[in-house]
Amino acid sequence: MSGGRLQLTLALIKPDVHGHPRLYRHLVDTVLRNGLLFVRSRVLRWNQQDSAQFYGEHEGRFFYNRLVGFMASGQMSAHILAGEDAISRWRQLMGPTKTFRGQFTHRDSIRGQFGLTDTRNCTHGADSEASARREMNIFFPEFDAETWWKEQSEFFKDGKVHFDEERVEHIPVGKVHFGEGGVEQLPADKIS
Amino acid sequence: MLLLQGIQNMGRVTAPAFKKQLGRNFVFQWRDVHCSCALTAKLKDPPSVKKPPDDLPVFQYIGKQTKRVSKIFVWGNAVTGALGIPDFLDPPPRKRARKHQSVPYCLQDFSQDARTVSCGYGFTVLTSSKEKGKVWGTGVNTDSQLGLQKTVKTTHKGANAIVLDYLIAPAPVDLPLTNPQETQVLQVACGRAHSLILTDREGVFSLGNNAYGQCGRAAVENEEYRGSSQINRVKIDGKVKQLAAGLDHSLFLTEDGEVYSCGWGADGQTGLGHYKSEHRPTKLRGDIDGEKITQVATFADCCLAVSEKGELFGWGNSEYNQLASVTDTTQVNVPRLLPFDYVGKAVQVAVGGTICAVLNDQGQVYVWGYGILGKGPKLEETPIPELLPEVLFGRNDFSPDVSVKEIKAGLNCFAAVTTGGELYTWGVNKHGCLGLGHVKDQYFPWKVSLPGEVVSVECGVDHMVAVIKSLL
Repeated sequence: MSGGRLQLTLALIKPDVHGHPRLYRHLVDTVLRNGLLFVRSRVLRWNQQDSAQFYGEHEGRFFYNRLVGFMASGQMSAHILAGEDAISRWRQLMGPTKTFRGQFTHRDSIRGQFGLTDTRNCTHGADSEASARREMNIFFPEFDAETWWKEQSEFFKDGKVHFDEERVEHIPVGKVHFGEGGVEQLPADKIS
Repeated sequence: MLLLQGIQNMGRVTAPAFKKQLGRNFVFQWRDVHCSCALTAKLKDPPSVKKPPDDLPVFQYIGKQTKRVSKIFVWGNAVTGALGIPDFLDPPPRKRARKHQSVPYCLQDFSQDARTVSCGYGFTVLTSSKEKGKVWGTGVNTDSQLGLQKTVKTTHKGANAIVLDYLIAPAPVDLPLTNPQETQVLQVACGRAHSLILTDREGVFSLGNNAYGQCGRAAVENEEYRGSSQINRVKIDGKVKQLAAGLDHSLFLTEDGEVYSCGWGADGQTGLGHYKSEHRPTKLRGDIDGEKITQVATFADCCLAVSEKGELFGWGNSEYNQLASVTDTTQVNVPRLLPFDYVGKAVQVAVGGTICAVLNDQGQVYVWGYGILGKGPKLEETPIPELLPEVLFGRNDFSPDVSVKEIKAGLNCFAAVTTGGELYTWGVNKHGCLGLGHVKDQYFPWKVSLPGEVVSVECGVDHMVAVIKSLL
């Protein structure tokens, strides 16, 4: 990463992908290939109330009910991504919300390739800096953005980080990482 | 050199004698087997067929004992293990792993005993007459949709049991049958992460993800599905005749022609008049009340049903014109009669994510919805059914009687079986799931090359399975 302004965004990987560990790993690889860096990652599970609170802005829309219901249906993961123009780049990588149309118009996007329906559409991404801040606060209340900018952003900017496969996080080289609540161990692939 | 010449000479001398003897042997053999040979016997019967003269050889093709055997062919996305071919993911030495299989591949182990199959999202359930188990599953098992599958791993620390998240070859599913000797499995149906199994004496079993009650039992908050051995017996009044599994809901058709549903209703796909989840299989009312339904179909969030009179009913999601003929809204939560009289007497329906099809008693296929419907290289969006030309399914002057006898739909693709036992597929070709030998989308029905007569076909999200009968 050279020059350019670093940006933080929030990415969610939804339960339909978490049902397929291999697909999850493929998405992580896609993010890495596109030069975005993982600042924090966490696997979690929502209940109906958490989900309703998060999508409060959509209340009253016809898809609100099913969006809330789907997000509460199983394990998912939240990631803070860093990179130049991370917000727009992650949204571009995701593709359009409407999967059934996106599979014809945006073939290479994540939703175009792996999305099932308009609700079960693999991923979520913050759409602006304000919402990224708000959503990061929901998923990583302990993440202190100011300290991160002061202490670690230079490492991410200069690419002086290495990727921890197990935690699905980039860790600054030469820094001891005292993570708060790391990623749960992913179920490893087992073959009969 | 001399020796070689000698051998050649010998050959010249002996060859005609050999031939003569061979010929004699052949005729003798033919006379011997004449009466037992099925093909010649068939030719002999009709008086119009001339009996071949004695000096012409007749070839024996099949013996008396030969039977037509059923075989299973699989194709599509291989990464999930849903194809059940271990060599694709765990290749033998000097072979490479295969991510997708775009031409049909024979599932050898199963071929003789296979009965019916069903495809879910990344997994396949097969029923067989094998002694070891009646139901077999392969593919993704992260929600225990294939039952509890364990293996023992021995390390220097000792033996540990590990829960398997993926099965790359079919493994038996332990069904809690009270009378396993006599009970037969009739049908299986698979959704996004749950499976339904219909038996003839012991009702319906369900296993896998139950976040919305799609397994017919109360949803438990934060239930861990991975490594769960829970198999539930679904309680329904009446004998179930047919199952249909949506991605996150289930439909049950009883012998009386009533439809029951449970699971996720956020798009109205349960048809129960609300948009909530329902875990008790509940009878659907609306326009189908009092009608005798003969078939139900669903794949994602839209459902279709056909009645004995040949009328069509639909409910669920209508964002892409699936039900636009009766509503302007995007969701319908009670069954509605679809006014498509001009399609004739409907006998079968198929529905994918946004695509719908109906088959009438003349063997004609009508399609509507959004996506690749099969009428040419444009994306179509139509609220009323349009006929697919019959010539696309192989009807022509030489075979005027060919018509479609079965239609099935995957998430974004269709499959049709004709009376001639041929399989045609069209639609979005994700991971080669159309079986046409390439991964490009197919905009009109195209024949799949299969070595036999197709009995039935099942479509998943990104793979397909066909049960065929060998030609001889």
